[in-house]
Amino acid sequence: MAKSFLADKDICIVAYGETKIERRGGRSAYEIAAEVAEQLYKKTKLGPSDIDGVTFTVPISECSNPFWSGYATEYLGISAKWLQTSDIGGASAIGNVTRAAMAIKSGLCETAMILGVDAPSTQWRAYYGSYRNEFWDPVGVQGPPGAFGLLMNRYEHQYGLDFRGLGALAVAQRNGAIKNPNAYEKLRHKITIDDYINSRQVSSPLRLLDSVMWADGGNGLVMMKTSRARKLGLTNRIYPISYAEISNFDCANQTPDITATGHSVVGPKVLRDAKMKAKDIDMFHPYDDFLFAVMLKTEQCGFAKKGQGSQFLRDTDLGPKGDLPINTGGGQISCGQPGLAGGGINLVEAVRQLMGEGKGRQVPNARNAMVTGIGVIPYGRNWGSANAMVLVN
Amino acid sequence: MAQTDTKPRPLPKPTPATQAFWDGAKKGKLMLQWDPTAKKYQFWPRANSVRTGKRNLQWKPTSGKGELYSFTVTHVPTPGFEARAPYVIGMIELDEGVRIIANLVNIEIDEVEIGMRMKVAWEKLSDDITYFAFEPDKRAKSKPKK
Repeated sequence: MAKSFLADKDICIVAYGETKIERRGGRSAYEIAAEVAEQLYKKTKLGPSDIDGVTFTVPISECSNPFWSGYATEYLGISAKWLQTSDIGGASAIGNVTRAAMAIKSGLCETAMILGVDAPSTQWRAYYGSYRNEFWDPVGVQGPPGAFGLLMNRYEHQYGLDFRGLGALAVAQRNGAIKNPNAYEKLRHKITIDDYINSRQVSSPLRLLDSVMWADGGNGLVMMKTSRARKLGLTNRIYPISYAEISNFDCANQTPDITATGHSVVGPKVLRDAKMKAKDIDMFHPYDDFLFAVMLKTEQCGFAKKGQGSQFLRDTDLGPKGDLPINTGGGQISCGQPGLAGGGINLVEAVRQLMGEGKGRQVPNARNAMVTGIGVIPYGRNWGSANAMVLVN
Repeated sequence: MAQTDTKPRPLPKPTPATQAFWDGAKKGKLMLQWDPTAKKYQFWPRANSVRTGKRNLQWKPTSGKGELYSFTVTHVPTPGFEARAPYVIGMIELDEGVRIIANLVNIEIDEVEIGMRMKVAWEKLSDDITYFAFEPDKRAKSKPKK
């Protein structure tokens, strides 16, 4: 088996930044980027002239601009040797950590900023093409909730689904958001499993409290060679050690089992490459557009048995001091989803925890984390891009 | 779930790769693309085979029959569907071996069951566009397969 190019820990994350999540805040993605970048400069004692590589997630609020990364770095005052905007949606955050590691390792740049900034609740500019205009929108499918309604119903048919397990996850994540000052303020109140069960149906069996809410916000990281971080005196270093990604899993199959996702491939692979088993993982920070996606990933990444994800969530302590801490900062479902920067919510929380800065929600002795991403809702399936990463401190 | 500010149901704008589908629909025929190399059907219509990459797909009329693979009841309608809410969207596995997402019509919500036999039904949306939906195939015996 080929060794992960990240296994040697010669590339590291030295700082994270994150804005508070807001709804219809009025700021553009550029203005949000400025706040994230300033946080990163403060923590690293670097400035715009020290950053020579930047990777972005394409923001919904600016995606009509075919020159987004050029405009955004010009705005920030960064002269870059390497730019990349990734468009694998919520999979872009850990995808970009890997892409930045490749760029640094190959010498294209030395100090990279990984930015996810978006303001879709202020400005929505997405247009999709492909099958959407003819075979999806005219059917009245309620977007991603509609697709997940179809997915959840099929899963329930095949395996059974204990909705109280999903409710337990909703409660655990909400408890994280209450302790997370960056979460959208209106979501920082307690909920119960019954609140989840009684929340209104959107696209059955998917309920309101299964779902994320669009919001504005941003997050980012700084990465460099470990040797350079040492020279700069940046001592709190986090290492991505394994990564895998797959888009359009089982694509040509016209009648796939839609409960099988790309995470059944990438979850086991990142564990193998990290020489770990699921039980060795200290905390799990899965991309959470819907609770059900987290549930399916507990199965496919090896924490729960196939078909038993909801029982696993019901019977496991998911809090920061529990058996498997999950999305300890609230995840996107309880923080608000800052558009396509959402994948960074899960990633930044993992980095924060690994740096020991979890404050009232710190996972004791956290040594490693698994983070996952999801991007794109395809036609009649589960999700288009699936990726996973193991990080250690 | 009535909204005051409603938009009409979106109408498809056919492209050269999809025109034959809509021409068939207008005549009440559910057309699918047949891949002569793989000897299999595929859906949704596009310019290339997803199996071989070749642009040699052929259009064939189909039975328009299949069984319900999954469904969801939409409580929050999308533009143009306000008057129908709540409405059922189904994923139908056609006997030709593809899945298609469509409105289910002529059925009560509590009668919908995964595995039930379905057949195509048509809704005329404009002079140019007749849109597919599915309804129970009452003459068929449902035998949900594993």
